[in-house]
Amino acid sequence: MRNKGALSKIALAVLLASTASPALAQGGANNITIVLPEQPSNLEPCGSILTDVGQVLSQNITEPLTVIDPKDGTPQPKLATKWERVNDTTWRFHLRDGVKFQDGKEFNAEAVAFTLKRMTGGAFTCNNLAKFGSAKLSVTPVDKLTVDIKTEKPEPILPALLSVAMMVSPATPADKAVNDPVGTGPYKLNTFTPQTVVLDRFDGYWGKTPDIAKATYVWRGESSLRAAMVQTGEAQLTPTIAIQDATNPKTDFSYLNSETTAIRIDTEQPPLNDVRVRKALNLAIDWQGMAELFGTDVLRASQMVVPGINGHNPDLKPWGYDPDQAAKLLAEAKADGVPVGTTIKLIGRNGIYPNGNEGLEAMMTMWEAVGFDIDLTMLDVADWTRYLQKPFPQERGPNLLQIMHDNNKGDAAFTVPIFYHSSGQYATFSDPKVDTLIGEALNATDTGRTKAFQEIFSEVHDRIAVDIPMFHMIGYTRVGESLDWRPNLTTNSEIPLAEIRLKK
Amino acid sequence: MFGYLGKRALHSVVSVLGLLVLVFFLTRLTGDPSYLFLPLDATPQAREAFSALHGFDQPLYIQFFNYLGDLLHLDFGESLRQNRSAMEVALEAFPQTLKLAVMAIFLAGALALVVGSLAAAKPGSLFDRFASLVSLAGASAPDFWVAIVGILVFAVSLDLLPTSGTGSAAHWIMPIGVLMLRPFGLLVQVVRGTMIGALSSPYVKTARAKGVRRQKIIFSHALRNSLLPVITVAGDLATSLVNGAVVVESVFGWPGIGKLMIDAIIQRDFAVVQSTVLVTACAIFILNIAIDILYAVLDPRIRYQTS
Repeated sequence: MRNKGALSKIALAVLLASTASPALAQGGANNITIVLPEQPSNLEPCGSILTDVGQVLSQNITEPLTVIDPKDGTPQPKLATKWERVNDTTWRFHLRDGVKFQDGKEFNAEAVAFTLKRMTGGAFTCNNLAKFGSAKLSVTPVDKLTVDIKTEKPEPILPALLSVAMMVSPATPADKAVNDPVGTGPYKLNTFTPQTVVLDRFDGYWGKTPDIAKATYVWRGESSLRAAMVQTGEAQLTPTIAIQDATNPKTDFSYLNSETTAIRIDTEQPPLNDVRVRKALNLAIDWQGMAELFGTDVLRASQMVVPGINGHNPDLKPWGYDPDQAAKLLAEAKADGVPVGTTIKLIGRNGIYPNGNEGLEAMMTMWEAVGFDIDLTMLDVADWTRYLQKPFPQERGPNLLQIMHDNNKGDAAFTVPIFYHSSGQYATFSDPKVDTLIGEALNATDTGRTKAFQEIFSEVHDRIAVDIPMFHMIGYTRVGESLDWRPNLTTNSEIPLAEIRLKK
Repeated sequence: MFGYLGKRALHSVVSVLGLLVLVFFLTRLTGDPSYLFLPLDATPQAREAFSALHGFDQPLYIQFFNYLGDLLHLDFGESLRQNRSAMEVALEAFPQTLKLAVMAIFLAGALALVVGSLAAAKPGSLFDRFASLVSLAGASAPDFWVAIVGILVFAVSLDLLPTSGTGSAAHWIMPIGVLMLRPFGLLVQVVRGTMIGALSSPYVKTARAKGVRRQKIIFSHALRNSLLPVITVAGDLATSLVNGAVVVESVFGWPGIGKLMIDAIIQRDFAVVQSTVLVTACAIFILNIAIDILYAVLDPRIRYQTS
C-alpha cells in the first residue's frame, strides 16, 4: 500500500515537473506570433540568404546598405543613403548618419569595413558570399560616413549585391558564426531557444517606430497546422502554406515568389544537341493542363527570371502547346539522321516543389505521345546536384533535369551567367554570341543593361531553345485579420516586421 | 546483482562504441554536406573551402581518428547548422522526448492494466468486446492521421486545446494522447491474454474457493503474476518512444530528439547525428537495465548471475 502511494506521488511529480515550463510569449495588443515552416538553423547574419534565417533576421535585426525594390528590382537606400561609381572598379557609399547598433555602438565606415572583412575572411562559412561569385572586395573608409568599396573586376551591380551584406556590430566575433546577432534593425534579439525566437522592438532605431512591440517566432512543418494556428488566433501570420490550405480569401494571399521552375536540357548529348528536338520538347507539353497541378495562379514562364527583375523580357512569349508541330519537328530531325529514338533520362529531385513528381510524370507521358522515349529517375538532392553542376557525370547520356531557380535580388546577373555562359556552373552549351552578349550585359548599366539581358533571354529562348521554362511559382501566405500586411516577391527571404501594421 | 550490472554495463559500452563507429561511417556514405549546407549556386571554390574548414577534405580514416581523439576529450563536435556544440543540441532535445515518453508509457500502461484485467475477468462480455475493439483501433490507427484529426477537432472546431507547441499543461494533452494510443492498444491485448491464462490457474481457483473477493483475485493475485510479459512489451514500446516519437514531434512542433535526429540525417549534420545516437543509445541501455531489475522485483525467482 505504501509502495502504491509512493508511485502515485512520483507520477504526480513527473507530471508537474513536465508541465511547469514557461508559457509562450503570446497575446498583448502589439505582440504577434509568426509561425514558420522550419526552425531557423542559426541566426548568423552571413546566412541571411537562407530562407529559415533570413525570414527572422533580414530587415528586423540586421539591415544591409541597400535593399531591392520588389517592384522593379532596383537597389534602394537603407543604411547607405546614396552611392556613386568613382571608377570602373570602385563604388563610393555615403552612410546614414545617427544610426546605432543595438549594443549602442555607432554605425559608421569602420563598421562597414568590419562587416565586409568578416564576411570575406574565410574563418567560417558565409553563405551570403555565394551571391558575390568570384568578386573580391576591398573596403576603404574615406571618412566617418563615407566608404569606398573596390572590386578586382568592374562590378556595375555592386549596390544590388550589397543588399545581402547584413551590417553587424563591430563587437561581433569575426572568427566564428554567431547565434546572437547585433545589427541596426528595428528589432533586437530577446531569446533564441529550440522552441522560439523572440524579438523586441529596439527603442534606439533610426527609422520610424514600428507598430509591433514583440514578435515571437515558432515553427511547424505541417502546412495545415500552420494555417490552423492563424485561424485559431495562436499565431497571426504564416508564410508559405500549401495551396489546399489557402481556403479563406479574407486571410490567404497569393504572391509571385521569385521562383521559376524549368527543365534544363543537356544540349551536349544527342539527340538533344539538335535545336528541332529541343523545340519539340517545349511544344509537346499541355501547359494549361500542367498549371492546374501547381495552382491556377502560377504564371507561365518564358525565361528564368520573374517580372520585376532587371533584364526580364516582357515581349518573350512562352512556347505554346502544339503536339502536331512537335511531332513534325521530330520527324524532320529523324530524317536528317538525328537519333530521336534514343532513351532520354528525365531526372527529378524528390521534394523540389509541391507536385513536382506528378508534373514530371505528366510531362513524360506527353513527350512519349509525340515520339520521345523518356525514362524518369527521381534522385535526392546530393545525387541530383551532380547533374546540375559542372563537372557533369561522364556517362550521363542524354538527360533533362528538373530545376527551380530563385532570383529575388533584382538583377538577371544572378541568373544568366550561371545558366547560359559557357563557363557557367549549370550551362550545358557554349554559344560564342551568347557569351559575348553576357560579357556586355554584365558591364552595362541602366537601360543598356536591361536591354542586353533581354536580348540574351530572347536568344536562348527563340534561337537556341536551350531549356524548357515552366512556371513562375506562386506562394500562399495566411495573414491574421488583425494585421495589415501583404506578401510580395521578397517574402520568401524576409518578413520585415516594421512593415506590418495593426488594423485599428 | 552488482556483478551482473557491471558485466551488463561493460557489454553496453562495447555496443555503444561499435554503434558510434558504424554511425560515423554510415553518415559519411550519405555524401558531401557542402551540397546541402551551401546555396546551390555556391562556387566550387566555396565548396572546397567549406570542406577544408570542417575537415571533410581529409581521407576518411584521418577523419575517423580525429573523431576518436575528440571523443577521448569528450568533444562531440559542432553542429554545422546550429553553430554550437552538437552534444548540447542533443542534450537539450532529449529531456523533451523523455518526459513525453515517460508520461505516455506510464498512462498507457496504467490504463491498459485496468482495461485488460477487467476484459479478461469476463471474456466475451460486452466490455471485453468493446475493449478489444478500442485496443485494436488504438494499435492500428496511424499517428499522423490521429494527430491531424485531433487538432482539427479539439483545437480548430471546439477550441478546447492549443494546436501544438509547448508551454502550458494543455499543450501536453494531445501529444500524450496520440503517443499513448498504440502502446495502450498493444498492452491491453497483452494484459488480457496473460490475465485470461492467470485467471484459470489453480491458485486463482483456490482463492475463489476460499472466498477471496473478486477484485482482490484479479488485481492482487492474477495481475502480479501476469506482469512479466507486460513488462517485456512495455519495455520494447518505451524503447521505441525514447528513441524519439518523430511523427508526434513533427506534427505538434515538439522539440524532441526524434525529429532532431531525422533532420540531422537529412541535412548531413554528422556531429548531431552521432551525438543523438549516443544519447539515445545510453538511454536505452539504462532502460534495459531498469527492466531487468524490475523483473527481479516482480518475480523473486529471477536472479541474475555474472557467469
